[in-house]
Amino acid sequence: MDFDLNDEQRAVVEAIEALLERHAGAARAIELGRDGGYDTALDAALEAAGYGEIATDLGLLEAVLLVEALARHGAVSGSAARLLAVPAVCDAGVPGPVALMRAGHSGPVRYASHANTLLILDGDQARRVTLRPGECPAVPSNFGFPMGRVSAECVGRGEPLGQGRGARLEDAWRLGLAAETVGCMDAALAETVAYLKQRRQFGQTIASFQAVQHRLAECAIQVEASRWLTREAGFVASGSEAVASAAAFALDAAGHVFAETHQLSGAIGFTREHDLHVWSMRLHALRQELGGVGGHRRAVVEARWGEALEGEARGGEALEGEAPGGDRPR
Amino acid sequence: MEFDWTEDEAQHRAEIRDFLAEELPGDWEEMAQHGPGGDAQAAFSKVFCGRMAARGWLTQHWPIEYGGRDASPWRHAMVGEEMWAIGEPRGAQYMNVNWIGPALMRYGSEAQKAEHLPRISAGDVLWCQGFSEPEAGSDLAALRTEALRVGDEYVINGSKIWTSYCNHADFILLLVRTDPDSRRHRGISVLLVPMDTPGIEIREIPSVVGERYFHEVFFTDVHVPVTTRLGPENEGWEVVGHALQFERVGAARYARAAVTLDRLAELARERGLLDDPIVVDRLGEARALCEAARVLTYKVIDLRAKGSPPTADTQLARVLGTRADNAIGVLALEIIGPEALESGSFADANFRLAMTAGVAVGASEVQLNLIASRFLGLPRE
Ligand SMILES: Cc1cc2nc3c(=O)[nH]c(=O)nc-3n(C[C@H](O)[C@H](O)[C@H](O)COP(=O)(O)OP(=O)(O)OC[C@H]3O[C@@H](n4cnc5c(N)ncnc54)[C@H](O)[C@@H]3O)c2cc1C
Repeated sequence: MDFDLNDEQRAVVEAIEALLERHAGAARAIELGRDGGYDTALDAALEAAGYGEIATDLGLLEAVLLVEALARHGAVSGSAARLLAVPAVCDAGVPGPVALMRAGHSGPVRYASHANTLLILDGDQARRVTLRPGECPAVPSNFGFPMGRVSAECVGRGEPLGQGRGARLEDAWRLGLAAETVGCMDAALAETVAYLKQRRQFGQTIASFQAVQHRLAECAIQVEASRWLTREAGFVASGSEAVASAAAFALDAAGHVFAETHQLSGAIGFTREHDLHVWSMRLHALRQELGGVGGHRRAVVEARWGEALEGEARGGEALEGEAPGGDRPR
Repeated sequence: MEFDWTEDEAQHRAEIRDFLAEELPGDWEEMAQHGPGGDAQAAFSKVFCGRMAARGWLTQHWPIEYGGRDASPWRHAMVGEEMWAIGEPRGAQYMNVNWIGPALMRYGSEAQKAEHLPRISAGDVLWCQGFSEPEAGSDLAALRTEALRVGDEYVINGSKIWTSYCNHADFILLLVRTDPDSRRHRGISVLLVPMDTPGIEIREIPSVVGERYFHEVFFTDVHVPVTTRLGPENEGWEVVGHALQFERVGAARYARAAVTLDRLAELARERGLLDDPIVVDRLGEARALCEAARVLTYKVIDLRAKGSPPTADTQLARVLGTRADNAIGVLALEIIGPEALESGSFADANFRLAMTAGVAVGASEVQLNLIASRFLGLPRE
């Protein structure tokens, strides 16, 4: 056990931080967000730095650290899929940006509007579709990511990626979700803390009221636990229990952190002049994928008490229902 | 950054489990239902700790000169997890090895070290901690129990409350005011007082938590030699502050919660409750919570293993650990249903041990205050 970065990891993290300082950030996210744009320049910079292709010799934990950092800087880039999902299921690099979706999913898909590759999770299968430019029409959204709608025809073109790839794709996707969530929560909380330290009411800074402090402290506990669970899951890699636990905890925390950071920021927090929304709104988009919090928790139970759930299909159906994003296959 | 056990550590966990399987009596669960302070458990702990000591495991993380083996804090943390998870067969002695011993090493005189450390390390002595008073709970610095110096002695008068394990303890680590004119944190000292000293009386405070769980300890003209003082006179606050940083993640509550949860999942399966998506959801939520508490605790152990000074990570871990314990305590009641209401049942015993988590060893609100100031850097009100 060692919770400190080793030299190699530190080098990777420092390099990506420097790159993101230059190429990403809230202002850039807001600018791109005006018309649902995608940060092609950032992806090019990542590519140039060696963080774009499958060929990079990054370990899974290092990839998690990168995804966390990208999210913290508000990057408008499908790099989580690129860094985690692609290496998990594709034998060679694929043209990015990459979007992820579940077979049978209805509703907007993150990054589909700009993606050149779509990876589809279909039970224990994973499929790959090469998208034609402009094929997935953009869907306007207030939830911080460019979104597109994927047609049934497009899904039908999916080429199977080989046996057992479904579970790998699901794990990698879930791990990426957790890491992105950590980055977004981290930034949303930091933004809120910084704001409340300087905003004064009743003759004192709002951050000095104990009722407020406790709520921020509770958020900090949630964020830190999510962070370390996710990093640990990135290290453990094998077996999806750690990944499912990380996602179950982090995506649940995301709901809490969203509500608290907005409540405590007051009206300014809802505006596009204030940066909070860059990260906070994304949290709810992230909570839509892979069956949401309920889906992650179910994955925890399956992984931990596996046989226990076998053949209990009824529970599965009831869980999934018609809920958005609840399109989890058995 | 890596989250792996070394081969030695992995093997140690297996060894501990084998040892527990061998050493715990058949009626262990019944014995353990009143917690580490129960009569049967306290008596058993002396035998059990002796056997652990014989294997060199009881204080393995201590330096060799004090009866330890210089083992990594990770090995000791593993012992803590495995022990607490099954109901703490070390009884109250987990406190001895976690922090009373280390406090003695750091602040004790040579004579004190020679008197106390070998006994703790051999596992045949029980200690309790006398901090809280009726008027000094969260605000510990408001304590009033006084020890006035008369020649080579202190004369102690006052009372302590909630003193766990005092009914079995051989010694009490006692926080007293040695400077009668002092206020707050100044003027406090730590005394190491034998519990059989004349003038000490114990009264049980009946509770719903368990038999002989809470006590009040009264001190009436209790005379002890000045040499029982641990650390400098009037500077006991620092001594205790240092020690308590270790205590706060001392009991591996998440580990017990996780074991209970495994059992609940098994029970839920037997009863066909896994058809119920709500049960599945709650189990998944609870498991993630236990894991979250574990990983935050590991962060603290990592700091300790590296010899870094304590940080507010301790408080983060502490609060989440109590949450996990509480959540699984309640979940057990819900999953097991009305049968849980019978005293001594698995869910009942577990619930009672869990219910005090957010108050014992410093209430959660106080931990949140510390997180606010030390972790988030928020200003004082
Ligand atoms: C199972 C158990 C075992 C214990 N064992 C021991 C022992 O062995 N030795 C010993 O000395 N003590 C022991 N204690 C006592 C324990 O340390 C105290 O209960 C604890 O410090 C809280 O004090 P209190 O109970 O007086 O609560 P109070 O201080 O009266 O607090 C009541 C409530 O008010 C809140 N509160 C208090 N101050 C603040 C503040 N500034 N801001 C916000 N909220 C606040 C608290 O968080 C709590 O929720 C034990 C307690 C329990 C439950």
